[in-house]
Amino acid sequence: MGASLRALRALVLLAGFYLLGVFLLAALGGIDYAVVTTLHGPIVAKLLLASVVLTVPIVRGMFMLRTPKGEPPAGVTVGEAQEPELWAAVRDVAQQVGTRAPDEIVLIDEVNAAVAEDAKLLGLRPGTRRLYLGLPLMTGLDEMQLRAVLAHEMGHYANFDTRLTPLIARGRAQLIRTIGYFHERADKKVAKERAKQERKDEKRIAKGKKAKGVDTAGEGAMYRAMAKVYIAYGNFYMRATRSTSRRQELAADLASVRVAGRDSAASALRELNALDSAHDFYMSSYATLGVGAGLLPRPGEVFGGLRRLLDARSADLDELRRELSTEPTSPYDSHPALAERVARIEALPDDGRAGQAARPALELLADAGASLAALEQVVLTPEALALKRVDWEDLVHESMTAYVGQGAEDIRETFAAEGAGPGLGAVLDAFDADPAVRWRIADRFPKSEEAQAATGRTAREFGRPVVRRALNQLVSVELTARGAARWQLSWSDSASLRYPADGFEDRLRQALDAAVADAPDTEPLRKLVLAP
Amino acid sequence: MIGLYILGAVLLFGAFKFLRGVYYIRKAKALEAEIGTLNTGTEAVKAERKAEKAAAVVALGFVAEADLDTENPAPVPPERTAVLDAVRSGDWEAGAAYVEAAGKNWQERMERVRPLAEAAAEDDAWLLAWRAARPSDPTAALVDADTAIMVAWNVRGSQSGSRTTQEQFRLFRELLVKAQEVAHEAQRLADPADPTPYIVEQPIGQGLGYSHERYRELWAQVVGRDPKVLWSHISGLQYWCRKWRGSHELALGFARESAAAGAPGDLLSLLPLIAYFEQETDEDDLAAETFFKEPEIVAAVDAALLDLAAAGDDHPGTARLRHMLAYLLFWQDRDEQAVEQFRHIDGYIGCVPWSYAGSPKSRYLYARDWAVGVSTPGL
Repeated sequence: MGASLRALRALVLLAGFYLLGVFLLAALGGIDYAVVTTLHGPIVAKLLLASVVLTVPIVRGMFMLRTPKGEPPAGVTVGEAQEPELWAAVRDVAQQVGTRAPDEIVLIDEVNAAVAEDAKLLGLRPGTRRLYLGLPLMTGLDEMQLRAVLAHEMGHYANFDTRLTPLIARGRAQLIRTIGYFHERADKKVAKERAKQERKDEKRIAKGKKAKGVDTAGEGAMYRAMAKVYIAYGNFYMRATRSTSRRQELAADLASVRVAGRDSAASALRELNALDSAHDFYMSSYATLGVGAGLLPRPGEVFGGLRRLLDARSADLDELRRELSTEPTSPYDSHPALAERVARIEALPDDGRAGQAARPALELLADAGASLAALEQVVLTPEALALKRVDWEDLVHESMTAYVGQGAEDIRETFAAEGAGPGLGAVLDAFDADPAVRWRIADRFPKSEEAQAATGRTAREFGRPVVRRALNQLVSVELTARGAARWQLSWSDSASLRYPADGFEDRLRQALDAAVADAPDTEPLRKLVLAP
Repeated sequence: MIGLYILGAVLLFGAFKFLRGVYYIRKAKALEAEIGTLNTGTEAVKAERKAEKAAAVVALGFVAEADLDTENPAPVPPERTAVLDAVRSGDWEAGAAYVEAAGKNWQERMERVRPLAEAAAEDDAWLLAWRAARPSDPTAALVDADTAIMVAWNVRGSQSGSRTTQEQFRLFRELLVKAQEVAHEAQRLADPADPTPYIVEQPIGQGLGYSHERYRELWAQVVGRDPKVLWSHISGLQYWCRKWRGSHELALGFARESAAAGAPGDLLSLLPLIAYFEQETDEDDLAAETFFKEPEIVAAVDAALLDLAAAGDDHPGTARLRHMLAYLLFWQDRDEQAVEQFRHIDGYIGCVPWSYAGSPKSRYLYARDWAVGVSTPGL
């Protein structure tokens, strides 16, 4: 199907959406006419009102003509003079794929590469073409894999796919939004009715009667019915466009195989799967670990630290590289499931390019460290940029100390409520004076159902680990405050407390056991932690 | 204009369909309500008949449902009640004397340790005092170990694995490891001829999942000291059951060995009965009314009856055997023989086979009232 034919079909399908709205409005008008001419009394007003209410989402769906323009991702625009090697690689790929090279390259902070074009006249005339290239993506790929990804993205342009995309996207967005309106309104109505019935039930219970229970099955049915009409059209629309979209995706994959070789193309897709989760995990557990304590890693490391994580956890990531999702990411996503794409690529005949040497993609940049640092300036909020910058080791130690200290505050309060504390020494004194205080403290912590139901010695056994855990946290705070223990960064595991000497951990475990034993002995813990 | 009329007609037709639907739904609801009333009526009649029969059985001298004791397998000796009251008020020496009075009757020693351990699982102040006052008392260590096991099982609860939380599993294990330490301590302190500190380790091995090899070593320690303690055989059979670490075959093999090792009067013929019962409980597709009539089970029951006759009523395990016999005789349609056992055990049903049922009372009354009804003319 040629480009213009596809454009025509997109136009027809979009027109169908408006036609559907017009038809539904006409139907409602017809009902109103019939009502006015045949019925009398207050029922007429009621029915008219109902039909007017139903027209609102239809009209809104029809006149929301503009597709919401997503903010372009924030990033650093780099010119050819700054990054000659990157530009050369991009031009090379564009030339091999057979499309125009982008006019701008913007480095962003996502595990993603995308080409966007401000196409004019419904996408029939070309506009400024931009390549958005994620530094985290480059961090995880080698040069050939990056070329594979770029070739896929530019492959869409070679097939004239994207010029029409605005049109298809508009029709799709319009449908989804209109269905959303109906559902939203139906849900609101159900919620309202539910609240009403619950209030009624409360009143009945207050009067000593049995609650009727809440039944909202029939509520919002009209809205749902209208949404169904649109969903039906939506399914038709998706079916009509999906096969083309899928073909386009697979064609773009073939482009990336041509440019980068079969194995690089397949491994790039596998890498993307692993990289996505690794990046999310890195951002939440490492890069922003210190934010609550007012700390950020050194400039360039906020995004640059990902490399260390990828190196340290490569065995864990291998699993993500192997296990690919067989589900499409969403029912409205045009990409076939990742597993299917990779399988198709790997089924291609060997092109003799397996095992080609490639340098890390970041080496295409003139100075990767400087680019990573520059990106921080654009992407991070002023508040984040104002945070203190420290080395990774200090970041982990200081922020963990701060968080564990904050958690210990609650524990201290709980202990103090039973007269134990505030210092660790005073807590242990209280244990010695009245061993039963420990079980009263345990009672103040949240409990599982089973622990709540337990009595006698069984209840004590549920409480013992609770007290032990809390005591351990107080000990950790005490040891870090004394400089005797330090939180240790690990790129392959979670942060852990490193104790002053070998065998200390074992002795600490025994000392904690002794402090929460039926006949408490606090001496070992005092000697271990409190002795000067 | 014509278009609008057509549209109106279509809508009217829709409204008609809708109203018709509403009418049918209303009608169906009314019918359902009627069925409900009829069902309640039938159930009421059935319940009335059942109540009449139950009343007739009670009139023959059997215990009424409300008075059944689901905690104990037999009446609690007054001495035991007094000792439990004494320890609860802090007099641990009464408990110590009570257990020691069992002497070298190891079965009786375990029968006395268990109620004390159950009391200590609730409140163990007296046990801690006992342990503190006599740190090298093997009896105190034995009670302590059994208490730790009771507590571990309390923590785990009796739900299946999927309905037991991670917290419960973790604590269960930790507590059993501690119980194991105490049991080993009791083994060091006890008279070398005393098997009870090893018997107390049996449920620990079961909970911690000892390998077959390790469990056999433990078993050798027990039977090397006394091969005929009924308690240890019952406990061992649990380990070899499929639900723990064995299989139907291993369990039955173990039970047959036990039975063969006992002389008439040792009551070890109870073990095959338990093995068959465990198998029937575990297998959903075994029907009690056919399975329990298999010739080998009938023979096992006959052997147990002879064993029971030889034991007289002195053996502390008699009640447990009578309970199992009553249940199996009932399923074998030997109702008169079943009633004879029911007369002995009636009133106290705190043991297998009844305790495995969701409602022990229902299982017991169903079997008893049936057997009594069949063997009493005119009922």
